[in-house]
Amino acid sequence: MTSDQTDSSTPVEAPDDLSGTIWSEVDRALSGVTVRPERGVIDLIVHIPADEVIGGLRRLKTDETLDFNYLRCLTAVDLEADGMDVVYHLYSTNKKHNLTVKARLGNDNLRLDTATTVWKAANWLERETAEMFGIRFNGHPDPRTLLMPEDMTDTFPLRKSHPLQEIEILQGEGMGYPEEGE
Amino acid sequence: MVASRETYGTEFETQDLLLNVGPQHPSTHGVFRMVLQVDGEVVKDVIPHIGYLHRGAEKLCETMDFRQGIGFMDRTEYLAAFNAELSYVMAVEALADIEVPERAQWIRMILCELNRLSSHFMFMGAFGIDVGVFATPFIYAWKEREQILDLFEEVAGDRMMYAYFRPGGLAWDVPHNFKARVREVLKSTRIGINDFDGLLTKDEIFRTRTQGVGVISAEEAIEWGMSGPSIRASGVPMDVRKDEPYLFYDQIDFNVASRTEGDVYARYSCRMEEMWESVRIIEQCLEKMPDYGPIMPEKMPRMLRTPPGEVYIRTEAPRGEYGIYMVSQGGNRPYRLKVRSACLSNLQALKDMSVNQYVADAIIVLGSIDIVLSEVDR
Amino acid sequence: MGVDLFGFNNVNPWLDAFIRLQLAVVLITVVVMGYTYLERKIVARFNQRIGPQKTGPFGLLQAVADAVKLVGKEDLRPKSADPWTFELGPFFVFIPVLMTFVIAPFMADWNIRLLELGLIYFVAVSGLSIIGWIMAGWGSDNRYALLGALRSVAQSISYELPLVLCVVALAMFAGTYNLGLIVEQQDKVPFIVWQPMTALIFFIAALAELNRSPFDIPVGESEVAGGPFIEYSGIRWSMFQLAEYAAIFVMSIVFASMFLGGYIWPFGDQVGVGLQLVLTGAKALLFFFVVVWIRVSVPRLRIDQLMGYSWKVLLPLTLVQVLVNGLVLVNGWHEVVLLVAGLIGCAVLVTATSRAVERRPRVPATRTAPVMQGEAARV
Repeated sequence: MTSDQTDSSTPVEAPDDLSGTIWSEVDRALSGVTVRPERGVIDLIVHIPADEVIGGLRRLKTDETLDFNYLRCLTAVDLEADGMDVVYHLYSTNKKHNLTVKARLGNDNLRLDTATTVWKAANWLERETAEMFGIRFNGHPDPRTLLMPEDMTDTFPLRKSHPLQEIEILQGEGMGYPEEGE
Repeated sequence: MVASRETYGTEFETQDLLLNVGPQHPSTHGVFRMVLQVDGEVVKDVIPHIGYLHRGAEKLCETMDFRQGIGFMDRTEYLAAFNAELSYVMAVEALADIEVPERAQWIRMILCELNRLSSHFMFMGAFGIDVGVFATPFIYAWKEREQILDLFEEVAGDRMMYAYFRPGGLAWDVPHNFKARVREVLKSTRIGINDFDGLLTKDEIFRTRTQGVGVISAEEAIEWGMSGPSIRASGVPMDVRKDEPYLFYDQIDFNVASRTEGDVYARYSCRMEEMWESVRIIEQCLEKMPDYGPIMPEKMPRMLRTPPGEVYIRTEAPRGEYGIYMVSQGGNRPYRLKVRSACLSNLQALKDMSVNQYVADAIIVLGSIDIVLSEVDR
Repeated sequence: MGVDLFGFNNVNPWLDAFIRLQLAVVLITVVVMGYTYLERKIVARFNQRIGPQKTGPFGLLQAVADAVKLVGKEDLRPKSADPWTFELGPFFVFIPVLMTFVIAPFMADWNIRLLELGLIYFVAVSGLSIIGWIMAGWGSDNRYALLGALRSVAQSISYELPLVLCVVALAMFAGTYNLGLIVEQQDKVPFIVWQPMTALIFFIAALAELNRSPFDIPVGESEVAGGPFIEYSGIRWSMFQLAEYAAIFVMSIVFASMFLGGYIWPFGDQVGVGLQLVLTGAKALLFFFVVVWIRVSVPRLRIDQLMGYSWKVLLPLTLVQVLVNGLVLVNGWHEVVLLVAGLIGCAVLVTATSRAVERRPRVPATRTAPVMQGEAARV
């Protein structure tokens, strides 16, 4: 399923056509931060290194033209060998534009500063992400589990390595659904 | 306004009581649990506990192909399942770049707005019980909701778990008398909303109970990521249907119901107005919807695969923004699926809204944000 | 008081009283069953439902079925509950209610005992059931029960004052506390005509005393989930229910006797026992119907609003009523003065109701940034 991993880790591909997006504004607001833009299906995606992402988010929020005052969603994507992406979906209630911010974490260091200092909305979303993926959010005001039992801090259900997927695939094979992409 | 411990002096030492509300309590709307720290009747702190209904829908969807996932979306948001399905199929369509036929889009709109009506009726009824009317509003609302569910059953074959939207269009065409039936339902709905308005909205006790209670300011609401009627009641007219139109909402004339007070009554009356707007939207959709036409694209692959990519689709569900973040790495199933739950974000603000008010206020504040626990826990 | 019943009064007045009490207990049980059935049916009609229909003709045996079910249930007691207070609580609620039946005049010359200070006795004894509520709330070792019991006590104490003052005002007007004599004075005009505000306030306070909507705060299902009897089951729980409906029954009889002319108005006291009983019953049922009507129509008040309403609105107005009654009595004015004053009082009460109940200010919920308002907010 993940045999083809070249596209996301190497920035050698041709830059996307970013006309018609808010990239120029974002680039201005995030000057001094390492940013790599990418054109998403709907929204603009920017990749920011993990150690700079909270500063970048705060700039995006306080910037007057961008005014990303609303955190739509915060989650993570387990990329197995490539580490994990923490994804922030931002929105501006005044300017009505969207932005997706991604920060890549290495598997050896699943730590990130908390975004609750930027938006309060990140509180429960980070708690959920932490318990589901095992990402530690430094400085989180309430680092308890959210959906999982309080003592379930050693297994992380949404990681790809969590066994549920294998069980389901085995069931799927038994039922006549062949594994795709292998 | 509210007597606190400080006003009594310090001769007597008092102790706050921890009151556990839920997960088995008549007014937690499911398996929500909150621990209220009460000083007499005054709530000093609220500690919400969720997760009792966590079924791992996101993880399960990663193991299902795109069509199988639709059924799970119904179960994440069982009071507005059409809206939940819509986000999901729109995400698949955006990734796979599928064009949806016009007629299918109109039908989707009608069903989603009807579902909004049925969901708001559910809210009205449950809220009536929360403020303490014995069963009357509940049954009035239930009666109207029943009409809509009957219509859904005729269309999709199921009353709550429809699995009717498919990537590309619809599972099958609507019955031949669909338009007439919708008009019939709308007629009774209009009477129902009117009845309900007379029953609760103008009630003196209802107003004293709800007005000025559970206030949250616009800034706080944005900060907490609230959405839907809960944020619109605070004076932020944020509505995905208007701001980023999907389906054909840009061709429809409708208002975004909005209030400025941000209290329980504002959230209630926002929903009340939204119901009238939904009726208007459905009427316009019925005018514009073609009678005949395809409901699926000409060429749909038997096994649906998407190219690698990711998309965040948001739609305006009755409780707020229902978002689907779908990551695909190719293949016939999502690599990662995240359901952005409006209820989860709305629930975060519960503490801000209910602290320093009475226990009875905390109950109606919880009722006014209209949570569906299966969406919170997923 | 009271005429000879079965000739026993001459033999032994205690035996006579005992027989009357037994009859009253049977009457209470039957009436309570009828009231629960009626309440189900009335509520169902208001709810666009049908109500009980499968148990017996028109569902008339529903109350019997309920009783059988309740008696058959296991009588549970939480492990951490205080055994004595928990087990005795229901009795302390039920016995005072039963005791108040002593003064209820069902028809001419038929009652258990008409006491000279009957109304005072009624108010005093019915107030005793608070002890039972507190016992149930404390003994259950449940925080909802405790909260409900405390609410119940606060509410009972607050609303007993207007209730007592209403009784005082009426007694001043009638010149007696004896409920039988009060009824007999109403053969031409019921007292509600001369004392409309007293009747209205008495009714409101009675609703609160009975813990009925909109004052059902101690048992509020959506807040404290049943209040003091959250931990009770089976027969003990049904004792609470029995006490509740018996209290409504006696309150409806007392209200009918105090204000609606009891068995005597409009036909006088020479119309025969049957018609008198029907008259009392019809008036009591009217009271009961209004109680149920209110229950299905209005939301519950909040505890601070409830207290404020009693202390700020009802209590001053009843004091004014007592004052006006005194003035009229001293100066020997015509009763029409009372009618006019009472109607003015009712108008004041209705307008004051919406003003005096505490409500919080409603302002646009903004802190710093400008918020779109009016037309602009409609996008």
